[in-house]
Amino acid sequence: MNEIGQRIDQLLAIPPYGLPPEEREAALLTLLKDELEYAGSRNPGYRNYIQHWPVDTHSARRVADLPFLPVGLLKAQPPLSLVEPSEIKRILTSSSTTGQTPSRITLDSPTARRMTKGVVAIAQDFIGSTRRPYLVVDVPGSTGGGPQLGARGAAIQGLQPFASEVTYCLKPDQAGDLTLDRDKLRHFAEARGPSPVLVYGFTYILWKYLVKPLIAENISLGMPGVHILHSGGWKLLQEEAVDKKSFNDGLARVFGCSADRVIDFYGMVENVGVIYPDCPEGNKHVPAFADVLVRNPLTLQQVPEGEQGIVQVCSVLPTSFPGHLLLTEDIAKIVAYDGCRCGRRGTCFRFVGRVAKAELRGCGNIDRKRQQAT
Amino acid sequence: MSELIRVIGLTEEISVLATELRATASATEITPSAVLDVFEAWAAALGERETADIPGVQFLRMWLRRGTLEPIIARELGGNALCGGWMEDGRARLKAYPLGVVGHWPAGNIEIQPILSMTCALLGGNASLVRVPGGLNDSTRLIMGKLEQSDRARVLTRRVCMLVFDHARRDLQEAMARSVDGAMIWGGEEAVLQVRGLPFPHWARLAVFGPRISVAAMDADSWSNTQEQESWCRRIARDVWQFDQQACSSPQVLFLEKKAGHSSHDFASSLKKAFESENRLHPRQTIHAALTTAICQARASWLLDNVAKSAIFSQGPDWTILLGSGSVIPKPTQGKTLTVLEVDDLFDPIEKLDGNVQTLGLAMSNPAREAKLASVAARRSVDRIVKLGRMHVFAPPWDGVDLIRPMVRVVRHVPSVG
Repeated sequence: MNEIGQRIDQLLAIPPYGLPPEEREAALLTLLKDELEYAGSRNPGYRNYIQHWPVDTHSARRVADLPFLPVGLLKAQPPLSLVEPSEIKRILTSSSTTGQTPSRITLDSPTARRMTKGVVAIAQDFIGSTRRPYLVVDVPGSTGGGPQLGARGAAIQGLQPFASEVTYCLKPDQAGDLTLDRDKLRHFAEARGPSPVLVYGFTYILWKYLVKPLIAENISLGMPGVHILHSGGWKLLQEEAVDKKSFNDGLARVFGCSADRVIDFYGMVENVGVIYPDCPEGNKHVPAFADVLVRNPLTLQQVPEGEQGIVQVCSVLPTSFPGHLLLTEDIAKIVAYDGCRCGRRGTCFRFVGRVAKAELRGCGNIDRKRQQAT
Repeated sequence: MSELIRVIGLTEEISVLATELRATASATEITPSAVLDVFEAWAAALGERETADIPGVQFLRMWLRRGTLEPIIARELGGNALCGGWMEDGRARLKAYPLGVVGHWPAGNIEIQPILSMTCALLGGNASLVRVPGGLNDSTRLIMGKLEQSDRARVLTRRVCMLVFDHARRDLQEAMARSVDGAMIWGGEEAVLQVRGLPFPHWARLAVFGPRISVAAMDADSWSNTQEQESWCRRIARDVWQFDQQACSSPQVLFLEKKAGHSSHDFASSLKKAFESENRLHPRQTIHAALTTAICQARASWLLDNVAKSAIFSQGPDWTILLGSGSVIPKPTQGKTLTVLEVDDLFDPIEKLDGNVQTLGLAMSNPAREAKLASVAARRSVDRIVKLGRMHVFAPPWDGVDLIRPMVRVVRHVPSVG
């Protein structure tokens, strides 16, 4: 295990977007094979799954041939884990729609440490490595102090290594909703002015609690040195007919910066330590310690450039849970397998949306609850 | 191409169409024999290039033949019904008359289902309003085009109107329900409940088909007989492949009765070959991404759950065999995902069946034991018990219900003279 840890750290140490695709594939393949073997030795059920995979893991020649796990399996209770309960440092939970079961990700100390390193390595390629004041558009306590951490908390915490100080600018109102703490925000803006600042918020929270109210009052914070990162998806904004350009323009107007200071990134708690910020070309890139495959739903083979399919995320970072190769419920389009004009090497892609729920599937479709009840 | 399919946007359009259809249906009687004349010509036309490869069309061609339908008409409506005659019943005489306009709500997974449903109502002399599910527009248009080509006198086409509208348009669904005298409803649980809740007239008769699932079962001697194993596996593959295992008659689970000295894993290897062969012959042309993820999830959750479980599956989502033991039907995944469960005694799972199971596909070596098992299954609400390989053969009664008779009224005439 120590040897695997060292190899992961070596990949974490190199520039995240500099490896030619074939070199990265080779490095990932050998490491992932060893990680799968280790994971199988720690979890008999997972070993059973690996052993039944149609391609023998040892003779696999591509990352795409290795056994992937549908992300829904991480909703299991108790969580799928590769470590003893005493070694679990934290459990990450995904954001989930009401009534749905969230994923539960067990982190031990080494995986938690790599998670932080991974996010830092990626983010600094986009915003630089210096520490700066960090404005969180959320309520204090979002990162919690207990053993469980939600998706919002994980994202906030993931960017803390860039912070010289942290300020939260939302507060709960009397009805239990969120509201902007205007005094705190004004003091923060006046004190920092044009100097570098990092801002993070969930996409919809940024829009609803910061951009909309301040635009309505025609307020600009005058912070041209800001970098605004956001994540969390566009579904709620689409319902309000807010597209990416309107969103970026709105944020730029509120902060008094140019729209290219706004960076949307995709991340999922199950894919610990890996985030996918948009590059200036509007594409998402894959760091050296991870990969993204897009599979044709009909064949599960990788799609050619320009086509879309189901996203599989790959990462060498986790050793506390089987999150190395996860088939997600997202759809993305492969823009190119190399050669993005931004200069970052390897696969670049764009998210298209979620896998649509299946339509009613004929007269053989019976609700499971009814089956169990009878 | 057919002109019988109309895209509907207003409720008034549906009521106007229904009024015209009702007037046509009540103005003249049409005998089942006259319907069959058109069906015969239609069956021949469906063999042409544009329609021959639509899934299910070859079956539809067989269904439409006089040789198939005459016995069904005679059984359901009586011996004289074919030519529109009355049937003696003591001093009285009986004859089937149409309900009027029958509405059809077919499931969206089977290309020929809107047509099959419609043919049942036409044989009863009814007119038909058919809601065509979104994904079936193209195939239905082609198939109905062949009916128009074969029915120059418009014997049947003036009794049919096919409607295309978004299933979420509650107002149009309600308008269609209000316009009909009977309904044939097919589909999954949610769809069936939704349609049954529409405001039908109080006199309307509803025939509901589905939602159900089906199971297959083989006794110890059948599956362990190495000489017949290959043939049985081909039959099972055929039943699993049709309709991408999404029909109510599709087997979701296969129960194998344990046989000392024989391994079900050997049988699974034969089944794998049959699945591979069927997949080469009939590869899937398209798939919903949600079904792909559901198949992947079924494979993983099966194997992670218990190390005693095993599975065989293709690299793609083409087919999956999940192997284990137990007599409880697992959650169906569909998409050619067959769960094979070993049981000590075949009566164990059959005695646990409930109203959800429509068809039991069987391979039994002992006729007396099969008869006993069939009785147990029938008491457990199974409606069809058939040989493996014939699980989808569409013959009434279906779901325990006749196909023509529910949409007719049997009129009794007791003469006042003589």
